[in-house]
Amino acid sequence: MQAQAQAPSGNTPDADSKPQGEERDHLLLIAEMTREFAAANDYKAVAHTALERITKYMSAEAASLFLLSDSGDSLVCVACYGPVDITGLSIPATTGVVGRSVISRKGLLVRDVSQDSDFGAAVDAKTGFTTRSLLVAPLAIGKECLGAIEIINRTTGDGLFSDEDMLLLETLARAAALAINNFRLTHKIVQQERDRHELELAAEIQRDLLPQASTRDFPIHGINIPARSVSGDFYDIITLPDGRIWFNVADVSGKGMNAALLMAKTSSLFRCLAKSAENPGQLLSAINNELCETNSHGMFVTMVGGLFDPAIGMVRLANAGHEPPLLFDARTERFTAVQADAPPLGIAPDIAGSDGFPVREIYLGGGTLYVFTDGLTEATTFGGGMLGIDGVRALIRDHADQSPDLRLKSIAGAVKLPGQSLRDDLTLLVAEDMAIGPMGAKPPAESVDTPADEQILRIRVPGRADRLKLIRAATEQAAKFIDAPEAWTFDLKMAVDEACQNIVRHAYKNSPDAGDIVIDFRRRGGILEVDIMDFAEAVDPETIRPRDITEIRPGGLGVHLIKSVCDEANFVPPPPGVGNLFKLTKRLPPKIQ
Amino acid sequence: MSYEVKNVNGAAVVALTGDVDLQTSPQVRQKLLESLEQYKRIVVDLSAVNYIDSSGVASLVEAFQVSRKKGSTFSLANVSSAAMRVLSLARLDKVFTIHPSVETALAQG
Repeated sequence: MQAQAQAPSGNTPDADSKPQGEERDHLLLIAEMTREFAAANDYKAVAHTALERITKYMSAEAASLFLLSDSGDSLVCVACYGPVDITGLSIPATTGVVGRSVISRKGLLVRDVSQDSDFGAAVDAKTGFTTRSLLVAPLAIGKECLGAIEIINRTTGDGLFSDEDMLLLETLARAAALAINNFRLTHKIVQQERDRHELELAAEIQRDLLPQASTRDFPIHGINIPARSVSGDFYDIITLPDGRIWFNVADVSGKGMNAALLMAKTSSLFRCLAKSAENPGQLLSAINNELCETNSHGMFVTMVGGLFDPAIGMVRLANAGHEPPLLFDARTERFTAVQADAPPLGIAPDIAGSDGFPVREIYLGGGTLYVFTDGLTEATTFGGGMLGIDGVRALIRDHADQSPDLRLKSIAGAVKLPGQSLRDDLTLLVAEDMAIGPMGAKPPAESVDTPADEQILRIRVPGRADRLKLIRAATEQAAKFIDAPEAWTFDLKMAVDEACQNIVRHAYKNSPDAGDIVIDFRRRGGILEVDIMDFAEAVDPETIRPRDITEIRPGGLGVHLIKSVCDEANFVPPPPGVGNLFKLTKRLPPKIQ
Repeated sequence: MSYEVKNVNGAAVVALTGDVDLQTSPQVRQKLLESLEQYKRIVVDLSAVNYIDSSGVASLVEAFQVSRKKGSTFSLANVSSAAMRVLSLARLDKVFTIHPSVETALAQG
């Protein structure tokens, strides 16, 4: 380009009379326009005046600025000056003199377009404008070319452009290219900054949706580490006035802002509906129906929802398509997985029926329940592989002796290096059994009553039908001892009687020389616990189930009656030497709690 | 537990007293089935029942089912609050015909 430019300068007809003045004019124009371009916020606005000035300065008829489209397929006129406005005109990037200039990144001077096969006469045909002579300079930046500036038809002299004009236009085009490039970069940075700021705000709002850190003596703790600034995972912990605790761990399909918004919606639904729900099955079913009512654009939510009663160490759990939670017993190092019983939320309404999603009752029995998202199981370990469920189990086992809060951090820390981001959002929640009864699964050596645990009465009687009246009388006296009202006492008496009746009939098979029944009445805070033990062979709890109440037939009614009046009634692992341990728990009436 | 069967105008009025439980319900069951052999109308007076367990309720259900097969009438009367609690928990309060008193039971059949 330099050679092309230098050669004609000496041959210019009036080189001797005006070189200084013209060069100075050139320089002034270049300096002025470069400054204007540099100061411009929007190059398109500047471009129009710039083209006007170039046109006038070069005594040309028209000028236009073409830029390559984002796809690079076409050249679009973004600004022009002249008798015909061609702003918005789009031509294929590979054709015409402009196209040639862009591809070669060289300035082109076409003295007579009728002699140039590349000239696209179609544009003239469209605009009614007649092009005689053309000057095109590429908008080149390094190896890139953004487009080209085109000057059309000289109006003075021979009507043809000179090589000097070419040099001037090339210089101006370089300044314009820089300005356009700067504008584009600035625009991109501003947009990125705006996006980042909005994302930060969203992340902050999202963090506020997560519960506050639990105190050390609280039985449920959680941790959430987003892979990006916003998360599709969440967890929540809500304590009810009666001491029971709602919790959830959920994962929204997809990532980014739309997943974060669905997360916000689902967590609000959980918080709102939990206050009136009776059990997690009903709650998840209600959330599902709400989510299905509005379009979630093919996104769905997997969730484990639980209601934990710390007083008895029992969790009621519903699992909607989520990673199975793990129950871990640190004494036996045994894991039990709680599989999903229902599909994820937000896919189909009313799938659960009126009873809601299936609910599982899990007695922690001194163990710990871990609920987590696939961000943990699918996390990359330091070794490079995927952690997997075995890796999760190993981490839980390795950190079992730590405090819950530290344990969560240790487990999360094992898959996340400081300063590095995760592949997926990670959420982990732990529910600890902090109230282990002396007759629970804990070995006798560790069976220390908590101060709130008050023994009321312990009786041992032969397991025979003729002793049931005695058992009922003892139950009445135990209830009277804690000032329980009459109706409450009657229900407890019936439950204990029915439970003992089952032992007499099923465990001891109505034998006249049956073994004993031991009944232990204990008060723990606002709860009465009754442990009913026998010394017969272990009974398969599956054979003793509540009957279908709609079916009228004698027998099988006892378990239904027990379950109707007790908060909990289940077989739990018996202490050594005991055949079966059936545990009843019944919340005391509010006035004596 | 004790029981008493009275013939009132050709109907059997079976009055149960005390606790009907696993120990005593076999006698109640036997007495009800015997009465169904002899009478076309049975009224069970539960006013003096302090306690009735699932086996006692099962005896009542069995007698009720036999009466339907035979085309006899079987009703409960003057049900004590203790017995009513168990019957309603068992959702049987809507199954049995329950009269406020033995007199109304006999009057209505």
